Amino acid sequence: MNRLMEPELTSSSASSGSWGWFTGIFRRHPFWVLIIPIGLVLYFVYGGLLWNVWVSISNWKGLAPSFGFEGFGQYSKMFGSYVFWIAVKNTLLLFLIIPFCLGLGAAIAVVLDQGLRGSSIFRSLFLLPFALSFVVTGTIWSWMYNPSNGILNALLHAMGLGALQGTWYTAQETVMWSIILAMIWQFSGYTALILLAGIKSIPEVQIRAAMLEGASKLRIYSRIVFPQLKGPVATAVVILMMYSLRSFDFIWVLTEGGPGFGSYTLSIYMYKQTFLATRFAYGAAVATVLLGIVLVIVVPYVYRTYRR
Amino acid sequence: MSKMYTITSSQGWLTKAILYGLLVIMTVFYLLPLWGALTTSLKTDTEIDTTNPLTLPRDPTSKGYIDAYEYLRRSLLNSLIMTLCGTFGAVSLGAMCGYVLSKFRFKGDNLVFLLITAGIFLPYQAILIPLFQTIRTLGLYDSLLGLILTHAVYGIPIMTLMFRAFYGELPTSLVQQAMTDGSGPWRTYWKVVLPSTKIATVTAVIFQFTAIWNELLFGLVIGGPNSMPATVALNSLTGTLSAQWNVQMAGAMWVAAPVLFLYIVLGRYLVRGYMAGSVTAV
Repeated sequence: MNRLMEPELTSSSASSGSWGWFTGIFRRHPFWVLIIPIGLVLYFVYGGLLWNVWVSISNWKGLAPSFGFEGFGQYSKMFGSYVFWIAVKNTLLLFLIIPFCLGLGAAIAVVLDQGLRGSSIFRSLFLLPFALSFVVTGTIWSWMYNPSNGILNALLHAMGLGALQGTWYTAQETVMWSIILAMIWQFSGYTALILLAGIKSIPEVQIRAAMLEGASKLRIYSRIVFPQLKGPVATAVVILMMYSLRSFDFIWVLTEGGPGFGSYTLSIYMYKQTFLATRFAYGAAVATVLLGIVLVIVVPYVYRTYRR
Repeated sequence: MSKMYTITSSQGWLTKAILYGLLVIMTVFYLLPLWGALTTSLKTDTEIDTTNPLTLPRDPTSKGYIDAYEYLRRSLLNSLIMTLCGTFGAVSLGAMCGYVLSKFRFKGDNLVFLLITAGIFLPYQAILIPLFQTIRTLGLYDSLLGLILTHAVYGIPIMTLMFRAFYGELPTSLVQQAMTDGSGPWRTYWKVVLPSTKIATVTAVIFQFTAIWNELLFGLVIGGPNSMPATVALNSLTGTLSAQWNVQMAGAMWVAAPVLFLYIVLGRYLVRGYMAGSVTAV
Protein backbone atom coordinates (compact mmCIF):
# COMPACT_ATOMS: atom_id res chain seq x y z
CA MET A 1 0.00 0.00 0.00
CA ASN A 2 1.40 3.38 -0.97
CA ARG A 3 1.52 6.35 1.24
CA LEU A 4 -0.89 8.81 -0.31
CA MET A 5 -0.04 11.84 1.73
CA GLU A 6 2.69 13.22 -0.43
CA PRO A 7 3.92 16.66 0.65
CA GLU A 8 3.27 18.41 -2.67
CA LEU A 9 -0.38 17.35 -2.59
CA THR A 10 -1.09 19.20 0.61
CA SER A 11 -0.64 22.65 -0.91
CA SER A 12 -2.84 22.01 -3.95
CA SER A 13 -5.70 20.94 -1.69
CA ALA A 14 -5.99 24.33 -0.04
CA SER A 15 -8.33 25.43 -2.82
CA SER A 16 -10.98 22.74 -2.42
CA GLY A 17 -13.66 25.12 -1.18
CA SER A 18 -15.50 24.86 2.11
CA TRP A 19 -14.25 21.31 2.60
CA GLY A 20 -10.68 22.55 2.71
CA TRP A 21 -10.32 22.11 6.46
CA PHE A 22 -11.67 18.57 6.19
CA THR A 23 -9.31 17.73 3.35
CA GLY A 24 -6.45 19.08 5.42
CA ILE A 25 -7.31 16.82 8.33
CA PHE A 26 -7.85 13.90 5.97
CA ARG A 27 -4.39 14.30 4.45
CA ARG A 28 -2.42 14.99 7.59
CA HIS A 29 -4.28 12.88 10.16
CA PRO A 30 -6.57 10.32 8.52
CA PHE A 31 -7.09 8.78 11.97
CA TRP A 32 -9.26 11.72 13.05
CA VAL A 33 -11.64 11.19 10.15
CA LEU A 34 -12.58 7.89 11.78
CA ILE A 35 -13.01 9.29 15.25
CA ILE A 36 -16.79 8.79 15.25
CA PRO A 37 -16.85 5.10 14.26
CA ILE A 38 -13.80 4.39 16.42
CA GLY A 39 -15.41 6.15 19.38
CA LEU A 40 -18.68 4.26 18.91
CA VAL A 41 -16.90 0.91 18.73
CA LEU A 42 -14.71 1.70 21.74
CA TYR A 43 -17.73 2.66 23.80
CA PHE A 44 -20.32 0.12 22.66
CA VAL A 45 -18.01 -2.88 22.20
CA TYR A 46 -15.01 -2.56 24.51
CA GLY A 47 -16.56 -0.21 27.04
CA GLY A 48 -19.62 -2.46 27.09
CA LEU A 49 -17.53 -5.58 27.73
CA LEU A 50 -15.66 -4.00 30.65
CA TRP A 51 -18.84 -2.51 32.05
CA ASN A 52 -20.51 -5.91 31.90
CA VAL A 53 -17.64 -7.51 33.81
CA TRP A 54 -17.95 -4.76 36.39
CA VAL A 55 -21.71 -5.36 36.73
CA SER A 56 -20.96 -9.03 37.45
CA ILE A 57 -18.95 -8.07 40.56
CA SER A 58 -21.25 -5.20 41.58
CA ASN A 59 -24.16 -5.11 44.00
CA TRP A 60 -26.80 -4.47 41.29
CA LYS A 61 -29.65 -6.70 42.42
CA GLY A 62 -33.03 -5.39 41.31
CA LEU A 63 -34.24 -3.15 38.51
CA ALA A 64 -32.50 -0.01 39.75
CA PRO A 65 -28.84 0.06 38.66
CA SER A 66 -26.23 0.01 41.37
CA PHE A 67 -22.50 -0.08 40.81
CA GLY A 68 -20.95 -0.60 44.23
CA PHE A 69 -18.32 -3.31 44.50
CA GLU A 70 -19.68 -6.53 45.89
CA GLY A 71 -17.18 -9.25 45.01
CA PHE A 72 -17.25 -12.56 43.25
CA GLY A 73 -20.29 -13.91 45.05
CA GLN A 74 -22.31 -14.13 41.81
CA TYR A 75 -19.67 -16.41 40.32
CA SER A 76 -19.61 -18.83 43.23
CA LYS A 77 -23.40 -18.85 43.26
CA MET A 78 -23.38 -19.52 39.52
CA PHE A 79 -20.80 -22.31 39.64
CA GLY A 80 -22.85 -23.92 42.39
CA SER A 81 -26.08 -23.82 40.35
CA TYR A 82 -26.99 -26.98 38.48
CA VAL A 83 -29.01 -24.98 35.94
CA PHE A 84 -25.84 -23.13 34.97
CA TRP A 85 -24.13 -26.44 34.23
CA ILE A 86 -27.11 -27.61 32.16
CA ALA A 87 -26.72 -24.41 30.14
CA VAL A 88 -22.98 -25.01 29.70
CA LYS A 89 -23.57 -28.61 28.63
CA ASN A 90 -26.27 -27.64 26.12
CA THR A 91 -24.15 -24.82 24.72
CA LEU A 92 -21.23 -27.17 24.10
CA LEU A 93 -23.62 -29.84 22.77
CA LEU A 94 -24.48 -27.47 19.93
CA PHE A 95 -20.89 -27.85 18.70
CA LEU A 96 -22.12 -31.19 17.36
CA ILE A 97 -23.49 -29.30 14.37
CA ILE A 98 -19.89 -28.68 13.26
CA PRO A 99 -18.92 -32.19 12.05
CA PHE A 100 -22.33 -32.65 10.41
CA CYS A 101 -22.25 -29.29 8.66
CA LEU A 102 -18.68 -29.91 7.48
CA GLY A 103 -19.46 -33.42 6.20
CA LEU A 104 -22.68 -32.43 4.48
CA GLY A 105 -21.15 -29.17 3.27
CA ALA A 106 -18.12 -30.94 1.77
CA ALA A 107 -20.33 -33.46 -0.01
CA ILE A 108 -22.51 -30.70 -1.45
CA ALA A 109 -19.48 -28.62 -2.42
CA VAL A 110 -17.96 -31.54 -4.34
CA VAL A 111 -21.22 -32.27 -6.19
CA LEU A 112 -21.65 -28.58 -7.04
CA ASP A 113 -18.05 -28.50 -8.28
CA GLN A 114 -18.79 -30.99 -11.08
CA GLY A 115 -19.90 -28.31 -13.50
CA LEU A 116 -23.41 -29.73 -13.85
CA ARG A 117 -26.00 -27.56 -15.54
CA GLY A 118 -28.06 -25.72 -12.92
CA SER A 119 -25.41 -25.94 -10.19
CA SER A 120 -25.76 -22.29 -9.24
CA ILE A 121 -29.54 -22.66 -8.86
CA PHE A 122 -29.05 -25.58 -6.49
CA ARG A 123 -26.45 -23.58 -4.59
CA SER A 124 -28.97 -20.79 -4.07
CA LEU A 125 -31.66 -23.23 -2.95
CA PHE A 126 -29.35 -24.85 -0.38
CA LEU A 127 -28.34 -21.45 0.95
CA LEU A 128 -31.90 -20.17 1.32
CA PRO A 129 -32.43 -21.37 4.93
CA PHE A 130 -29.35 -19.40 6.02
CA ALA A 131 -30.71 -16.18 4.56
CA LEU A 132 -33.91 -16.35 6.60
CA SER A 133 -34.35 -14.97 10.09
CA PHE A 134 -34.02 -17.42 12.97
CA VAL A 135 -37.42 -16.18 14.05
CA VAL A 136 -38.90 -17.27 10.73
CA THR A 137 -37.15 -20.63 10.74
CA GLY A 138 -37.93 -21.13 14.43
CA THR A 139 -41.62 -20.56 13.74
CA ILE A 140 -41.55 -22.93 10.78
CA TRP A 141 -39.67 -25.63 12.69
CA SER A 142 -42.14 -25.46 15.56
CA TRP A 143 -44.73 -26.54 12.98
CA MET A 144 -42.32 -29.12 11.51
CA TYR A 145 -41.83 -30.64 14.95
CA ASN A 146 -45.38 -30.27 16.26
CA PRO A 147 -46.07 -33.70 17.80
CA SER A 148 -49.81 -33.92 17.11
CA ASN A 149 -50.13 -33.09 13.41
CA GLY A 150 -46.88 -31.34 12.47
CA ILE A 151 -45.05 -31.84 9.21
CA LEU A 152 -42.45 -34.40 10.28
CA ASN A 153 -44.74 -36.71 12.19
CA ALA A 154 -47.38 -36.55 9.45
CA LEU A 155 -44.73 -37.33 6.86
CA LEU A 156 -43.37 -40.27 8.85
CA HIS A 157 -46.90 -41.56 9.31
CA ALA A 158 -47.64 -41.27 5.59
CA MET A 159 -44.43 -43.14 4.77
CA GLY A 160 -45.44 -45.98 7.06
CA LEU A 161 -42.70 -45.04 9.49
CA GLY A 162 -45.06 -44.14 12.32
CA ALA A 163 -42.69 -45.84 14.76
CA LEU A 164 -40.19 -43.05 14.14
CA GLN A 165 -42.62 -40.31 15.11
CA GLY A 166 -41.03 -38.28 17.86
CA THR A 167 -41.77 -35.93 20.71
CA TRP A 168 -39.18 -33.54 19.21
CA TYR A 169 -38.95 -30.25 21.08
CA THR A 170 -41.69 -31.10 23.56
CA ALA A 171 -39.65 -33.57 25.64
CA GLN A 172 -36.43 -32.97 27.55
CA GLU A 173 -34.73 -36.04 26.08
CA THR A 174 -35.22 -34.97 22.48
CA VAL A 175 -35.28 -31.19 22.53
CA MET A 176 -31.56 -30.54 22.03
CA TRP A 177 -31.36 -33.08 19.20
CA SER A 178 -34.28 -31.38 17.49
CA ILE A 179 -32.51 -28.03 17.76
CA ILE A 180 -29.28 -29.53 16.45
CA LEU A 181 -31.05 -31.07 13.43
CA ALA A 182 -32.71 -27.75 12.58
CA MET A 183 -29.42 -25.89 12.94
CA ILE A 184 -27.70 -28.36 10.61
CA TRP A 185 -30.50 -27.61 8.15
CA GLN A 186 -29.90 -23.89 8.46
CA PHE A 187 -26.08 -23.87 8.40
CA SER A 188 -24.91 -26.73 6.17
CA GLY A 189 -25.70 -24.88 2.92
CA TYR A 190 -23.61 -21.96 4.17
CA THR A 191 -20.77 -24.32 5.09
CA ALA A 192 -20.97 -25.76 1.58
CA LEU A 193 -20.64 -22.25 0.15
CA ILE A 194 -17.48 -21.54 2.16
CA LEU A 195 -15.91 -24.85 1.13
CA LEU A 196 -16.95 -24.42 -2.51
CA ALA A 197 -15.29 -20.99 -2.57
CA GLY A 198 -12.14 -22.67 -1.23
CA ILE A 199 -12.25 -25.37 -3.90
CA LYS A 200 -12.74 -22.80 -6.67
CA SER A 201 -9.70 -20.84 -5.49
CA ILE A 202 -7.31 -23.76 -6.01
CA PRO A 203 -5.18 -23.08 -9.11
CA GLU A 204 -6.44 -25.06 -12.08
CA VAL A 205 -2.95 -25.96 -13.23
CA GLN A 206 -2.48 -28.24 -10.26
CA ILE A 207 -5.58 -30.21 -11.07
CA ARG A 208 -4.93 -30.39 -14.79
CA ALA A 209 -1.39 -31.63 -14.17
CA ALA A 210 -2.74 -34.40 -11.95
CA MET A 211 -5.30 -35.34 -14.58
CA LEU A 212 -2.59 -35.55 -17.24
CA GLU A 213 -0.77 -38.00 -15.03
CA GLY A 214 -3.92 -40.08 -15.02
CA ALA A 215 -4.99 -39.49 -11.41
CA SER A 216 -8.56 -40.51 -10.62
CA LYS A 217 -11.21 -38.07 -9.43
CA LEU A 218 -11.15 -39.55 -5.97
CA ARG A 219 -7.40 -39.16 -5.82
CA ILE A 220 -7.52 -35.57 -7.04
CA TYR A 221 -9.97 -34.61 -4.31
CA SER A 222 -8.30 -36.53 -1.50
CA ARG A 223 -4.71 -35.65 -2.39
CA ILE A 224 -4.91 -32.21 -3.96
CA VAL A 225 -8.20 -30.47 -3.20
CA PHE A 226 -9.04 -31.37 0.41
CA PRO A 227 -5.54 -30.82 1.85
CA GLN A 228 -5.72 -27.23 0.56
CA LEU A 229 -9.01 -26.50 2.31
CA LYS A 230 -7.53 -26.02 5.77
CA GLY A 231 -8.17 -22.27 5.69
CA PRO A 232 -11.84 -22.49 4.63
CA VAL A 233 -12.44 -25.35 7.08
CA ALA A 234 -10.95 -23.30 9.93
CA THR A 235 -13.16 -20.37 8.94
CA ALA A 236 -16.26 -22.56 8.82
CA VAL A 237 -15.46 -24.12 12.20
CA VAL A 238 -14.99 -20.74 13.88
CA ILE A 239 -18.16 -19.30 12.32
CA LEU A 240 -20.21 -22.36 13.33
CA MET A 241 -18.78 -22.21 16.86
CA MET A 242 -19.72 -18.54 17.11
CA TYR A 243 -23.26 -19.27 15.96
CA SER A 244 -23.51 -22.12 18.50
CA LEU A 245 -22.25 -19.98 21.36
CA ARG A 246 -24.46 -17.03 20.46
CA SER A 247 -27.49 -19.14 19.56
CA PHE A 248 -30.39 -17.40 21.11
CA ASP A 249 -33.01 -16.41 18.54
CA PHE A 250 -33.86 -19.86 17.19
CA ILE A 251 -34.06 -21.55 20.59
CA TRP A 252 -35.99 -18.66 22.08
CA VAL A 253 -38.65 -18.90 19.37
CA LEU A 254 -38.86 -22.69 19.45
CA THR A 255 -38.80 -23.45 23.20
CA GLU A 256 -37.77 -20.39 25.26
CA GLY A 257 -35.32 -22.79 26.90
CA GLY A 258 -37.87 -25.45 27.77
CA PRO A 259 -39.30 -27.90 28.43
CA GLY A 260 -38.05 -27.35 31.96
CA PHE A 261 -34.38 -26.46 31.59
CA GLY A 262 -34.11 -28.88 28.65
CA SER A 263 -32.81 -26.39 26.08
CA TYR A 264 -31.20 -23.77 28.30
CA THR A 265 -28.03 -22.45 26.71
CA LEU A 266 -25.79 -19.78 28.21
CA SER A 267 -27.44 -17.14 26.00
CA ILE A 268 -30.95 -18.17 27.06
CA TYR A 269 -29.91 -18.45 30.72
CA MET A 270 -28.32 -15.01 30.67
CA TYR A 271 -31.37 -13.38 29.07
CA LYS A 272 -33.85 -15.03 31.44
CA GLN A 273 -31.84 -14.25 34.58
CA THR A 274 -31.19 -10.65 33.58
CA PHE A 275 -34.34 -9.40 31.93
CA LEU A 276 -37.05 -11.69 33.24
CA ALA A 277 -35.80 -12.36 36.78
CA THR A 278 -34.04 -8.93 36.91
CA ARG A 279 -30.95 -10.44 38.49
CA PHE A 280 -28.58 -8.15 36.63
CA ALA A 281 -25.32 -8.94 38.42
CA TYR A 282 -25.94 -12.66 38.06
CA GLY A 283 -26.82 -12.32 34.37
CA ALA A 284 -23.65 -10.30 33.83
CA ALA A 285 -21.62 -13.12 35.40
CA VAL A 286 -23.17 -15.66 33.00
CA ALA A 287 -22.40 -13.31 30.09
CA THR A 288 -18.80 -13.02 31.28
CA VAL A 289 -18.41 -16.80 31.18
CA LEU A 290 -19.84 -16.79 27.65
CA LEU A 291 -17.35 -14.07 26.70
CA GLY A 292 -14.53 -16.17 28.18
CA ILE A 293 -15.43 -19.17 26.02
CA VAL A 294 -15.65 -16.96 22.92
CA LEU A 295 -12.23 -15.44 23.64
CA VAL A 296 -10.62 -18.88 24.01
CA ILE A 297 -11.83 -19.72 20.51
CA VAL A 298 -11.43 -16.38 18.79
CA VAL A 299 -8.09 -15.07 20.05
CA PRO A 300 -5.94 -17.82 18.47
CA TYR A 301 -7.95 -17.58 15.26
CA VAL A 302 -7.66 -13.79 15.04
CA TYR A 303 -3.98 -13.96 15.92
CA ARG A 304 -3.32 -16.44 13.14
CA THR A 305 -5.39 -14.50 10.61
CA TYR A 306 -4.19 -10.99 11.26
CA ARG A 307 -0.52 -11.82 11.61
CA ARG A 308 -0.36 -11.92 7.84
CA MET B 1 -18.13 -21.35 -13.64
CA SER B 2 -17.40 -24.88 -14.84
CA LYS B 3 -13.77 -25.76 -14.93
CA MET B 4 -11.74 -27.73 -17.46
CA TYR B 5 -11.19 -30.67 -15.21
CA THR B 6 -14.81 -31.16 -14.25
CA ILE B 7 -16.34 -34.36 -15.40
CA THR B 8 -18.79 -32.79 -17.84
CA SER B 9 -16.58 -33.95 -20.67
CA SER B 10 -16.11 -37.53 -19.63
CA GLN B 11 -18.96 -38.39 -17.30
CA GLY B 12 -21.44 -41.04 -18.32
CA TRP B 13 -25.19 -40.68 -18.00
CA LEU B 14 -25.12 -42.87 -14.90
CA THR B 15 -22.74 -40.59 -13.00
CA LYS B 16 -24.80 -37.63 -14.06
CA ALA B 17 -28.02 -39.29 -12.94
CA ILE B 18 -26.55 -40.12 -9.53
CA LEU B 19 -25.27 -36.57 -9.06
CA TYR B 20 -28.62 -35.04 -10.02
CA GLY B 21 -30.33 -37.56 -7.75
CA LEU B 22 -28.20 -36.34 -4.84
CA LEU B 23 -28.98 -32.74 -5.67
CA VAL B 24 -32.72 -33.47 -5.73
CA ILE B 25 -32.54 -35.24 -2.34
CA MET B 26 -30.71 -32.25 -0.88
CA THR B 27 -33.26 -29.88 -2.38
CA VAL B 28 -36.06 -31.81 -0.69
CA PHE B 29 -34.16 -31.63 2.62
CA TYR B 30 -33.69 -27.86 2.43
CA LEU B 31 -37.07 -26.94 1.01
CA LEU B 32 -39.37 -29.35 2.87
CA PRO B 33 -39.95 -27.08 5.89
CA LEU B 34 -40.53 -24.07 3.65
CA TRP B 35 -42.93 -26.01 1.44
CA GLY B 36 -44.87 -27.18 4.47
CA ALA B 37 -45.06 -23.61 5.76
CA LEU B 38 -46.31 -22.35 2.40
CA THR B 39 -49.07 -24.96 1.99
CA THR B 40 -50.19 -24.56 5.61
CA SER B 41 -50.33 -20.78 5.30
CA LEU B 42 -52.90 -21.14 2.51
CA LYS B 43 -55.19 -23.61 4.25
CA THR B 44 -58.32 -23.12 6.34
CA ASP B 45 -58.42 -24.09 10.00
CA THR B 46 -60.43 -27.24 9.32
CA GLU B 47 -58.23 -28.37 6.45
CA ILE B 48 -55.16 -28.13 8.67
CA ASP B 49 -56.73 -30.53 11.16
CA THR B 50 -57.83 -33.01 8.52
CA THR B 51 -55.06 -33.12 5.92
CA ASN B 52 -51.37 -33.87 5.69
CA PRO B 53 -49.44 -30.57 6.05
CA LEU B 54 -47.48 -31.19 2.84
CA THR B 55 -50.47 -31.53 0.51
CA LEU B 56 -51.60 -28.63 -1.62
CA PRO B 57 -54.55 -26.74 -0.18
CA ARG B 58 -57.81 -27.89 -1.78
CA ASP B 59 -59.39 -24.51 -1.34
CA PRO B 60 -56.61 -21.92 -0.94
CA THR B 61 -57.52 -19.01 1.30
CA SER B 62 -55.75 -15.75 2.03
CA LYS B 63 -57.39 -15.55 5.47
CA GLY B 64 -54.18 -16.56 7.23
CA TYR B 65 -52.26 -13.82 5.46
CA ILE B 66 -54.89 -11.20 6.23
CA ASP B 67 -55.06 -12.12 9.92
CA ALA B 68 -51.28 -12.23 10.24
CA TYR B 69 -50.97 -8.89 8.47
CA GLU B 70 -53.46 -7.31 10.84
CA TYR B 71 -51.30 -8.45 13.72
CA LEU B 72 -47.91 -7.59 12.17
CA ARG B 73 -48.75 -4.43 10.21
CA ARG B 74 -47.33 -1.91 12.65
CA SER B 75 -44.24 -3.96 13.40
CA LEU B 76 -43.46 -4.55 9.72
CA LEU B 77 -43.41 -0.78 9.24
CA ASN B 78 -41.21 -0.40 12.33
CA SER B 79 -38.83 -3.01 10.96
CA LEU B 80 -38.70 -1.34 7.58
CA ILE B 81 -37.79 2.07 9.04
CA MET B 82 -35.36 0.54 11.53
CA THR B 83 -33.67 -1.61 8.89
CA LEU B 84 -33.36 1.10 6.23
CA CYS B 85 -31.95 3.68 8.65
CA GLY B 86 -29.77 1.17 10.50
CA THR B 87 -28.36 -0.12 7.22
CA PHE B 88 -27.66 3.42 6.06
CA GLY B 89 -25.79 4.15 9.29
CA ALA B 90 -23.77 0.95 9.38
CA VAL B 91 -22.89 1.10 5.68
CA SER B 92 -21.87 4.78 5.82
CA LEU B 93 -19.67 4.35 8.88
CA GLY B 94 -18.25 1.04 7.63
CA ALA B 95 -17.50 2.44 4.17
CA MET B 96 -15.70 5.37 5.77
CA CYS B 97 -13.56 3.02 7.85
CA GLY B 98 -12.94 0.77 4.86
CA TYR B 99 -11.87 3.69 2.64
CA VAL B 100 -9.49 5.23 5.14
CA LEU B 101 -8.04 1.91 6.30
CA SER B 102 -7.41 0.64 2.78
CA LYS B 103 -6.11 3.79 1.08
CA PHE B 104 -4.39 5.83 3.79
CA ARG B 105 -1.61 4.96 6.16
CA PHE B 106 -1.27 6.31 9.65
CA LYS B 107 0.39 5.30 12.86
CA GLY B 108 -1.55 2.42 14.40
CA ASP B 109 -3.79 1.83 11.39
CA ASN B 110 -3.47 -1.92 11.70
CA LEU B 111 -4.38 -1.76 15.37
CA VAL B 112 -7.47 0.30 14.55
CA PHE B 113 -8.49 -2.26 11.93
CA LEU B 114 -7.99 -5.10 14.41
CA LEU B 115 -9.93 -3.32 17.16
CA ILE B 116 -12.88 -2.55 14.93
CA THR B 117 -13.17 -5.90 13.13
CA ALA B 118 -12.63 -8.01 16.26
CA GLY B 119 -16.12 -6.79 17.13
CA ILE B 120 -17.46 -9.26 14.54
CA PHE B 121 -17.02 -12.03 17.10
CA LEU B 122 -18.73 -10.17 19.91
CA PRO B 123 -21.33 -12.28 21.73
CA TYR B 124 -24.14 -9.76 22.19
CA GLN B 125 -25.06 -11.12 25.60
CA ALA B 126 -21.76 -9.77 26.90
CA ILE B 127 -22.76 -6.14 26.14
CA LEU B 128 -26.51 -6.43 26.60
CA ILE B 129 -26.73 -4.97 30.11
CA PRO B 130 -24.51 -1.94 29.34
CA LEU B 131 -26.40 -1.41 26.08
CA PHE B 132 -29.74 -1.57 27.87
CA GLN B 133 -28.47 0.87 30.48
CA THR B 134 -27.02 3.28 27.91
CA ILE B 135 -30.15 3.30 25.79
CA ARG B 136 -32.29 3.91 28.88
CA THR B 137 -30.05 6.75 30.05
CA LEU B 138 -30.26 8.36 26.62
CA GLY B 139 -34.05 8.15 26.86
CA LEU B 140 -34.15 5.93 23.79
CA TYR B 141 -35.73 2.83 25.35
CA ASP B 142 -38.63 1.59 23.20
CA SER B 143 -37.81 3.98 20.37
CA LEU B 144 -36.89 3.33 16.76
CA LEU B 145 -34.00 5.75 17.15
CA GLY B 146 -32.48 3.58 19.88
CA LEU B 147 -32.78 0.47 17.71
CA ILE B 148 -31.35 2.28 14.69
CA LEU B 149 -28.38 3.54 16.69
CA THR B 150 -27.74 0.06 18.10
CA HIS B 151 -27.92 -1.69 14.75
CA ALA B 152 -25.77 0.96 13.05
CA VAL B 153 -23.06 0.65 15.72
CA TYR B 154 -22.90 -3.15 15.83
CA GLY B 155 -22.87 -3.27 12.03
CA ILE B 156 -19.63 -1.25 11.87
CA PRO B 157 -17.20 -4.19 12.41
CA ILE B 158 -18.46 -6.46 9.61
CA MET B 159 -19.02 -3.50 7.25
CA THR B 160 -15.48 -2.27 7.87
CA LEU B 161 -14.11 -5.72 7.04
CA MET B 162 -16.13 -5.91 3.83
CA PHE B 163 -15.44 -2.40 2.57
CA ARG B 164 -11.73 -2.60 3.33
CA ALA B 165 -11.59 -5.81 1.28
CA PHE B 166 -13.64 -4.26 -1.56
CA TYR B 167 -11.68 -0.99 -1.67
CA GLY B 168 -8.44 -2.92 -1.31
CA GLU B 169 -9.15 -4.49 -4.72
CA LEU B 170 -9.33 -1.03 -6.26
CA PRO B 171 -5.91 -0.02 -7.66
CA THR B 172 -4.27 2.53 -5.39
CA SER B 173 -2.87 4.26 -8.48
CA LEU B 174 -6.45 5.17 -9.49
CA VAL B 175 -7.01 6.97 -6.22
CA GLN B 176 -3.56 8.51 -6.34
CA GLN B 177 -4.17 9.84 -9.82
CA ALA B 178 -7.35 11.60 -8.74
CA MET B 179 -5.56 13.10 -5.75
CA THR B 180 -2.70 14.35 -7.92
CA ASP B 181 -5.26 15.97 -10.22
CA GLY B 182 -6.27 18.11 -7.29
CA SER B 183 -9.38 16.58 -5.82
CA GLY B 184 -9.28 15.97 -2.09
CA PRO B 185 -9.82 12.58 -0.44
CA TRP B 186 -13.49 13.38 0.08
CA ARG B 187 -14.10 14.33 -3.57
CA THR B 188 -11.99 11.40 -4.71
CA TYR B 189 -14.24 9.09 -2.78
CA TRP B 190 -17.43 10.38 -4.43
CA LYS B 191 -15.93 10.86 -7.90
CA VAL B 192 -13.70 7.79 -8.20
CA VAL B 193 -14.02 5.21 -5.43
CA LEU B 194 -17.80 4.98 -5.03
CA PRO B 195 -18.68 4.89 -8.75
CA SER B 196 -16.17 2.12 -9.44
CA THR B 197 -17.33 -0.09 -6.56
CA LYS B 198 -21.10 -0.04 -7.13
CA ILE B 199 -21.49 -3.82 -7.00
CA ALA B 200 -19.53 -3.99 -3.77
CA THR B 201 -21.78 -1.36 -2.23
CA VAL B 202 -24.92 -3.20 -3.30
CA THR B 203 -23.48 -6.40 -1.82
CA ALA B 204 -22.75 -4.76 1.53
CA VAL B 205 -26.13 -2.99 1.66
CA ILE B 206 -28.06 -6.21 1.04
CA PHE B 207 -25.95 -8.13 3.54
CA GLN B 208 -26.52 -5.55 6.26
CA PHE B 209 -30.20 -5.09 5.40
CA THR B 210 -30.94 -8.80 5.89
CA ALA B 211 -28.81 -8.93 9.05
CA ILE B 212 -30.78 -6.12 10.71
CA TRP B 213 -34.17 -7.23 9.41
CA ASN B 214 -33.62 -10.77 10.72
CA GLU B 215 -32.39 -9.85 14.20
CA LEU B 216 -34.41 -10.57 17.36
CA LEU B 217 -32.36 -9.97 20.51
CA PHE B 218 -31.96 -6.16 20.36
CA GLY B 219 -35.62 -5.73 19.51
CA LEU B 220 -36.54 -7.88 22.49
CA VAL B 221 -34.32 -6.01 24.95
CA ILE B 222 -34.46 -2.34 23.96
CA GLY B 223 -37.65 -2.35 21.87
CA GLY B 224 -41.13 -2.16 23.32
CA PRO B 225 -44.76 -1.81 22.30
CA ASN B 226 -44.11 1.38 20.32
CA SER B 227 -41.02 0.24 18.44
CA MET B 228 -41.54 -3.52 18.19
CA PRO B 229 -39.74 -4.99 15.15
CA ALA B 230 -41.46 -7.66 13.04
CA THR B 231 -39.30 -10.49 14.42
CA VAL B 232 -40.40 -9.74 17.97
CA ALA B 233 -44.04 -9.44 16.87
CA LEU B 234 -43.89 -12.75 15.00
CA ASN B 235 -42.50 -14.37 18.12
CA SER B 236 -45.35 -13.04 20.24
CA LEU B 237 -47.86 -14.08 17.56
CA THR B 238 -46.58 -17.62 17.99
CA GLY B 239 -47.23 -17.31 21.70
CA THR B 240 -50.78 -15.96 21.47
CA LEU B 241 -52.30 -18.14 18.76
CA SER B 242 -50.65 -21.46 19.41
CA ALA B 243 -53.29 -23.46 17.58
CA GLN B 244 -53.75 -21.43 14.42
CA TRP B 245 -50.89 -22.72 12.33
CA ASN B 246 -52.09 -21.10 9.12
CA VAL B 247 -51.85 -17.63 10.70
CA GLN B 248 -48.44 -18.43 12.17
CA MET B 249 -47.04 -19.72 8.90
CA ALA B 250 -48.51 -16.75 7.02
CA GLY B 251 -46.87 -14.50 9.62
CA ALA B 252 -43.54 -16.22 9.03
CA MET B 253 -44.01 -15.61 5.31
CA TRP B 254 -44.70 -11.91 5.89
CA VAL B 255 -41.54 -11.54 7.95
CA ALA B 256 -39.54 -13.56 5.43
CA ALA B 257 -40.97 -11.63 2.46
CA PRO B 258 -38.42 -8.78 2.13
CA VAL B 259 -35.50 -11.19 2.45
CA LEU B 260 -37.10 -13.65 0.02
CA PHE B 261 -37.68 -10.79 -2.41
CA LEU B 262 -34.03 -9.70 -2.20
CA TYR B 263 -32.95 -13.32 -2.47
CA ILE B 264 -34.90 -13.87 -5.67
CA VAL B 265 -34.08 -10.53 -7.31
CA LEU B 266 -30.53 -9.91 -6.09
CA GLY B 267 -29.53 -13.37 -4.86
CA ARG B 268 -26.05 -13.34 -6.33
CA TYR B 269 -25.17 -10.21 -4.37
CA LEU B 270 -26.36 -11.83 -1.18
CA VAL B 271 -24.26 -14.91 -1.92
CA ARG B 272 -21.29 -12.64 -2.58
CA GLY B 273 -21.93 -10.93 0.73
CA TYR B 274 -21.96 -14.22 2.61
CA MET B 275 -18.66 -15.11 0.97
CA ALA B 276 -17.15 -11.72 1.77
CA GLY B 277 -18.38 -12.05 5.34
CA SER B 278 -16.42 -15.26 5.74
CA VAL B 279 -13.18 -14.42 3.96
CA THR B 280 -11.30 -13.43 7.08
CA ALA B 281 -9.08 -16.48 6.86
CA VAL B 282 -9.42 -17.85 3.34
